[in-house]
Amino acid sequence: MRFIDARCQLGRRCVIRENEPVTKAEILELMDRCRIERAVAYHAIAKEGDVKAGNMELLKDTEGDSRFLRQWVALPHTFGEFMSVEELLKGMKENSVSSIRMFPKTHGYSLKPYALGKFMDAMAEHKIPVFMTYNELASEDALYAMLTDYPKVNFIISDVSYREERKLFPILEHCPNFHIGTGNYVVHGGVKTMCEYFGAERMIFDTGLPTGSAAAAVSLICFAEISEEEKTLIASGNLERMLSEVEL
Amino acid sequence: MRFFDASCRLGRPAAFGEGMPWQTDEILEIMARCHIDGALAYHIVAREGETQDGNELLLREIAQIPQLQPQWCALPATYDEFLHADALRDAMKENGVRTLRIAPKSFAHSARPYAMKELMGFAAECRVPVFFDYGEAPCDELYEICHDYPDVSFVITNTAYALNRWLGPVLDACGNLYLGTGNYVPHRGLETFCKYYAADRLVFNTNLPTGSATAAVSLVCFADISKEEKELIAHGNIERLLGEVRL
Amino acid sequence: MNWEQYIFEGKPFEGIYIFDVHGHVGAHKPFQLGGYDADSVAKTCRRMNVDGVVVSSLPALASDWKWGNEEVAASVDAYPGLIWGYASPNPFYEDCDITPYLDLPGFVGVKIHGDMQGSTPVNDPRYFPTYEVANERGLPVLFHAWLSAEVRAAADVARRYPNTKIILGHSGMTARDTALEVARTCDNIFIDTAISSTYDNAIEVLVDKVGADRVVYGSDICFFDCIHTMGKIALARISDTDKEKIFGLNARGLFSL
Repeated sequence: MRFIDARCQLGRRCVIRENEPVTKAEILELMDRCRIERAVAYHAIAKEGDVKAGNMELLKDTEGDSRFLRQWVALPHTFGEFMSVEELLKGMKENSVSSIRMFPKTHGYSLKPYALGKFMDAMAEHKIPVFMTYNELASEDALYAMLTDYPKVNFIISDVSYREERKLFPILEHCPNFHIGTGNYVVHGGVKTMCEYFGAERMIFDTGLPTGSAAAAVSLICFAEISEEEKTLIASGNLERMLSEVEL
Repeated sequence: MRFFDASCRLGRPAAFGEGMPWQTDEILEIMARCHIDGALAYHIVAREGETQDGNELLLREIAQIPQLQPQWCALPATYDEFLHADALRDAMKENGVRTLRIAPKSFAHSARPYAMKELMGFAAECRVPVFFDYGEAPCDELYEICHDYPDVSFVITNTAYALNRWLGPVLDACGNLYLGTGNYVPHRGLETFCKYYAADRLVFNTNLPTGSATAAVSLVCFADISKEEKELIAHGNIERLLGEVRL
Repeated sequence: MNWEQYIFEGKPFEGIYIFDVHGHVGAHKPFQLGGYDADSVAKTCRRMNVDGVVVSSLPALASDWKWGNEEVAASVDAYPGLIWGYASPNPFYEDCDITPYLDLPGFVGVKIHGDMQGSTPVNDPRYFPTYEVANERGLPVLFHAWLSAEVRAAADVARRYPNTKIILGHSGMTARDTALEVARTCDNIFIDTAISSTYDNAIEVLVDKVGADRVVYGSDICFFDCIHTMGKIALARISDTDKEKIFGLNARGLFSL
């Protein structure tokens, strides 16, 4: 089975724990061990420090490296701080960047249409998927609001963990543009239940490397009580399809 | 250059740092030192405790001080806790009050129209600018309040330096939002603001006594903007807003 | 000197030495900074007749220590004599050795922000190798000092490493009185003025409690602007001599410039 990881962070980050992988070589070693063919990657500096510079560092770190699919971190274009939407799309096309990650809580901005309407319209028009971790949203209601404000944008929400189902299931029901990153979706029988109620198409394999466990993430899929077809969709099929639909 | 302070506070605080100039004559002394000709002032009792009594206290405190003009704190008139629109208009007109200050979080009421329609309707009709500290309606709430009441001019004070990513989209979407400059200190903050939004949306204020008047005037005086922009910020914009009030 | 005239004419101060001990380069994740590269910092300094500023990199403190310290090195290279550098270690990386940066011309001290680095107390032993180098060389060490625990941890470092010159950033902020207390008991502790918003007379309190010799101008540029702090010092009711000490003469001694 092929795995393509939808969430990997490259680059030196601020806080590391003992034995945690840090370098690209260490991350690749883990990917090899866990048979992860490729990974969508953003840069730590783009998250923790300078978004623009971090996006450029990503290009340098992944130059000529087909194991990583480039992902840029985006900010609103307010006060001229970040690229305009037009500049972003151009830059993405020129640099083979096929997805966007956002950190609205960490980076401090609104997700509402008055703030991000134009940006999200562009994401929808160009079928660019937008990735976030669950803790970047204020609440499940904020998640629902975002999904319904931008129904034509595919959102991949990761790091959901195991206590949120009652909040998330109604949202999954109402919002077909909501996809869950499976990395630490460790609900007992969770992957199977998701497949039963919403279909394997709604799950995207991810690890959260280097701070998340790749071994745990692949095991979650490999050992899930679902069909091989469903595993294949989750492990790589859904993400590959989504990324192949991007029009830049 | 002369300054008009769009917002300062009078009255005895519950707690304060050593040396903080809270007494009225101390505030007047700093204003004089900082070339601040006049100020809109509200009272701490109105802001922190008893709104109507505090507003009355304010009038007594500044009765013989022409440099200080009253700013009243306001609440929705639920349970007749505050004046209804007609009575408020009469009282403001009688007492020379031309601005209001709200504090929905501190006063524990909603800022949405179901709660504040009457008060904001009055402010819109009479062109009364409404002030609040950014913390009273931060982030998306800032947009909501500006959007819910598009005919009210809002001035946010006590902004600090970390709000631009929230503020920018609201400024784009809502032409009725003004920024008090008191502690608006992002690096090159006023220059950047004037570049993207224009000086006529900036209103000089000090946030005295918790804020520094010397810092606030320096921020404008040393800003890398034109003299015309500085004059607008220092006094021009607030004078225009006050001149539009129709009670 | 007619400080008032300079301010109200919008004319940057002349004829005094201004040295900012608390500056930054680099972006910060939670909010927009109005210009955070070396060019922007240098432009503001030149416009305001600031003779020098020591900067640490915000990404070095909160993100990639190596990338950030390289950012400082590049800034120092680009503006020698105007922009000076703090090197910043990261306690989580065993291979983090900032001595090579301290060996570079233009690097004059160490900046540590334990709060940004996993809320690590600054007297954590993982920082000790850095302090040993700083102590050996008699370097200033600037700490972010916002809370009482942070101030006391910084004071602990000051006592352990008496040849360093400890600068408590932000005047100790919410723990200002604690900062002033430790400064009175430790000769190698200094207080900087980098606060975004504080009341008038706050500068006077610092001078009154610890003496102007122990207060140094710090602005936190580009985290926020510097011009309001300059005005606060300039218009403080202290002597011109004290203002000149705070604005730069003390720093000249601290950094051996």
